[in-house]
Amino acid sequence: MPPTILNAYAKPVDNTIPVQALLYDDETLHASQDSVGLYDGPSKSAPHQSGTIHVTSHRIFFIADGGTPSNTLTSRTAEDESVGASLALDLAHVTQTEYYAGFLKSSAKITLHLTPPVRKAVQPPSSATTTTSSTSVKDFDDPFSTWECEICGNKNPPGLSPAARSVCALCGVPRSAVSLAAGSTPAPSRPLSVLRHPPDPTSTSASWHSRSLPSSAAHTPPTGSPAPSRGSIEEVRGVGQGSSKQVECPACTFLNHPYLRECEICGTALPSSKSGSSSSASKPGLTLSSKSAPTSRPTSPVGDVADLADGERYIKLSFRKGGDKPFYAVLKRTLKTKAWEVRIGYYGRRTNTGESSATTATARSGISGILQNVESSAMSTSTDMSHAFQDLEALMVKAQEMVKLAAELNERLSAAQQQRMSVNPYANANGAGVVEPEEATFIRSSLAQLGLQMKNAPVTQDMVKDERRWVEQLAKELAGVLQGDSVHEGMMRQRGIMGVDEAWGGWNRARGVALIPPTTLLQTLPLLPAHTSPPINTRKLTSGLTVLHMPPYAHTAFSVRFVGRIESGGPCTTVTFAQEEGLSVGLADEMIRDVERDGGICRDEVRGSGGMTAKSNAGAAEIRWWVNMFTGYVWDGQLDEH
Amino acid sequence: MARLTPTGYLLPSIHSVPPFFTEQPNPTTQATLTEQWTRLILSYARHRRLFFIRIEDAETTGGDWDEVLRNEQINRRVMPAHLSSLLATLVAKNLAVYEPPKQTRSVLLFWRSPEEWGETLHEWATSTGQLNTILTFYEIEDPPVPSPLSGIPTALLRKAIASLSKTGRAQIIGAADGEGVRLFAGTGK
Repeated sequence: MPPTILNAYAKPVDNTIPVQALLYDDETLHASQDSVGLYDGPSKSAPHQSGTIHVTSHRIFFIADGGTPSNTLTSRTAEDESVGASLALDLAHVTQTEYYAGFLKSSAKITLHLTPPVRKAVQPPSSATTTTSSTSVKDFDDPFSTWECEICGNKNPPGLSPAARSVCALCGVPRSAVSLAAGSTPAPSRPLSVLRHPPDPTSTSASWHSRSLPSSAAHTPPTGSPAPSRGSIEEVRGVGQGSSKQVECPACTFLNHPYLRECEICGTALPSSKSGSSSSASKPGLTLSSKSAPTSRPTSPVGDVADLADGERYIKLSFRKGGDKPFYAVLKRTLKTKAWEVRIGYYGRRTNTGESSATTATARSGISGILQNVESSAMSTSTDMSHAFQDLEALMVKAQEMVKLAAELNERLSAAQQQRMSVNPYANANGAGVVEPEEATFIRSSLAQLGLQMKNAPVTQDMVKDERRWVEQLAKELAGVLQGDSVHEGMMRQRGIMGVDEAWGGWNRARGVALIPPTTLLQTLPLLPAHTSPPINTRKLTSGLTVLHMPPYAHTAFSVRFVGRIESGGPCTTVTFAQEEGLSVGLADEMIRDVERDGGICRDEVRGSGGMTAKSNAGAAEIRWWVNMFTGYVWDGQLDEH
Repeated sequence: MARLTPTGYLLPSIHSVPPFFTEQPNPTTQATLTEQWTRLILSYARHRRLFFIRIEDAETTGGDWDEVLRNEQINRRVMPAHLSSLLATLVAKNLAVYEPPKQTRSVLLFWRSPEEWGETLHEWATSTGQLNTILTFYEIEDPPVPSPLSGIPTALLRKAIASLSKTGRAQIIGAADGEGVRLFAGTGK
C-alpha cells in the first residue's frame, strides 16, 4: 500500500452522522459543496471520488456519498485500515492553496499544500514505534473529555477544538501536560480505540504496533479508567520487560503504582518516566520487529509521508459540478482567520464581530472572562428564580380554585346531610343511612388533609362582593381566630394584649390561603369590638406600636391597676411588673410610660451610687416607679425666718 | 418626714423620696419638682448664708451643698445635668443670675432680691449712723461688727446699691483705691 497523504493527515469520520454533529463546540460550518472528488497527491483517490466537501472554521470534511460507503471498504477488515471514505482534515495542516479554474473536461481544482510532519524532527525516523510517545500528546485531543484547570480550577467542557482545548476557557492559562493526562477522562466510545492485549511478553510487539495507529488517540485502555498516557506507556514497557512496573519514590523509596504522580506515602512528586520512548527504542527486539513487520508500515504513515518533498505533500479537491469559486473564497478566508489558533485577546475581537454565541461563551479569558462568567451565572440564577416564583404564583391561583371547589363540595355535602336528616331523622339508627356520612367524612378528611378544611373556610374577597360586608365578615373571622370558640382556643384567650403584627401573622396562618394584607387588617380592626366579647379594642402606644387588647388593658384600667399595685406593693420596676402581668417587658414599658405621661406615677432612676463623676449620667439606669407624690405636696421643711 | 441636718436645717420630707432626685419626663410633674427644688435651694442658702451654687457642688463631695444635693440615707444625689436645669430655672425666674456672666456653671442666688438687699443696706447704714458718709465696698462686705450684709458678694452689693440709686438714696463714688458709696436718708422718691 503506497503512502497516502490522506491517511497521514486526515482522520476518518462517520459519514452517517450529519456534519453539524461532528463539529466542535467552538467550530462553525462555513461552506459546503457536493460532487467533489479528492486527489491524494497527484493521483485520484479511489474511495473519495464522490462526496460532499464542507469547510468549517477548523477543518475540512469530506463526506462520501452513497449511504454507507465505509462498509464497502473491504480493507476495513485490516486492523490498520483506519481511513474510511469520509474524513476530516485539520486546516492547521494547510500551508498553501492553489486554484485551478479547469479546462474543457478537466474540473476545477483546489490544491491544498500540507505542512511537513513535525514528528520527524523530534523523533528518530528509524524507529516507527517512537511515534507512539509523541502521539500520546494526541491523547489530549480527545474532544469528549473534560479537564480541570490547574490554576483556577475551572472545569473545561468537552467538545472544543484542539487548540481551544489546550487553554483554560476561564483563565486562559495553557493546559499543562500533567493536568491533561490526569484530567482527561477517556470516553467509552472513542474512534479507533484499540483493545490492549494481555500482558504476554511474546505479543508485546504486536500490541505495540496496534496502538501506534496513525490517528491513535487511544492510549488509555478503553476500560474507562483514567490513566495517564505516560503511565500507560510505562506500564507497557514494564510489561514488556517483565520487571518493575512500580515507581520508586525518590524520597522514601516506597514502590508506588505507576499511575500515581505523587508518592502515596510522603506525597513527593514521583520521577516522570520520560524514558518511555528511549527505553522502548533501546529495546532492539521491539524496534526491529516493529520496523521489519510489514503491518507496521501503514501504522506510521507520517514517517513515510515525511520523506516526501514539500512539493509532493498536497491533496486536491476536484469540483466535478462547479461551486469551486465561492468555495475557494470561503476557504481562503477561513485559512486567513486561523480560528484554530487560540490567542488571548483574539477571541475578544471575534466576539465583537458577532460570531456564534458558543464562541463568545467559551473563548473568554483573563479577569474579564472571570467577571463575565460570574455575571452570566448570576443572570441565569435570577432567571431561574423568577421562573420559580412564576410557578408559585400559578400555584396560588390554583389554590384559590381548590378552595372554591372544596367549598362547593362541602356545601353539597352539608345540603345532602340536612336533607337526609329532615327526611328521616332516624336514618342514623338503621344501617342504610350510614354509608353516606362515611363518604362525606372521607371527603372532608381528605379536604382537611389538603389544608382545605371548610369548617373555618377563609373568607375571600370573591365570596363577598360588597366591601363593607366583606370587612365585617373578616372582622367576624378575626374575632374567631383571636377569641376562639368552644373547641379551639383563640390566640388571646390566655393573654389580654397582643401586637397587631402578631395577630396578623396568626390570622394569616389560620387562613392559609388568600392571605390578608396589613391594610385590610387595619380596616377590619375598628369593627372588631362589635364582634368580640369581651370587646377587643385597638390601642396605639406612644412608640407607634398598635396593640389589640382586652378591657383590662385599656389605658384607664391599666393606670388604675398599676398605681394601685405601686401603692399597695411599693415601688417596682418595669421588669417586675411585666413579670407579674405576664406581659413582654417592651409592651409593659410602653404602657407604663403612658401612665407616666398622665402624671399618675413618677420615676426614680437608680444610678451607680458610687459614681460621683458626671460620667455616671451616661450609665444605663433602671427605672423604679413611684406614685406621684409631688402633686399636692405641701412644704414641710424649714420655714424662712424673716 | 422632715429631717434636721447637722447644720440645723430642717429638710422637707420630700427630700427623702427617691424620685425627688430624678428628672421627670412628665412636664407637670417636673414643674412641681422644680418648684420644690427652687424653694429648697433658696431656703437652704438663706439658712447657711450661701450666695453661690455651682455645678461642681453636684459633682464633688465636701462642698457646702452636700446636705441638700445628696441624701446618703436613700443613696440618691442630684445629677449635674439635673442641677444645671434647676439653675437655669432659677435664673429664668429671676431668683438668681449667672455669676460671673456668660457661663452657666455658677449662679449668684437671690434669696433676697437686690431691692431687699438695698433696703437692708439702707437700714444698716441708718442704724449704724453711716448715712452721708462715704463707705467703701470692703467696709460694707466685711464690717468690724457683723452685720446682715457681712459676706455679701460685690456683684450683689452693686445690684443692691443700683436699686437704691434709682430712688436717689445712694451714689457710687469712684475712689483712688476702689469704689465707694454714699448713702442718703432719702425717703425713696
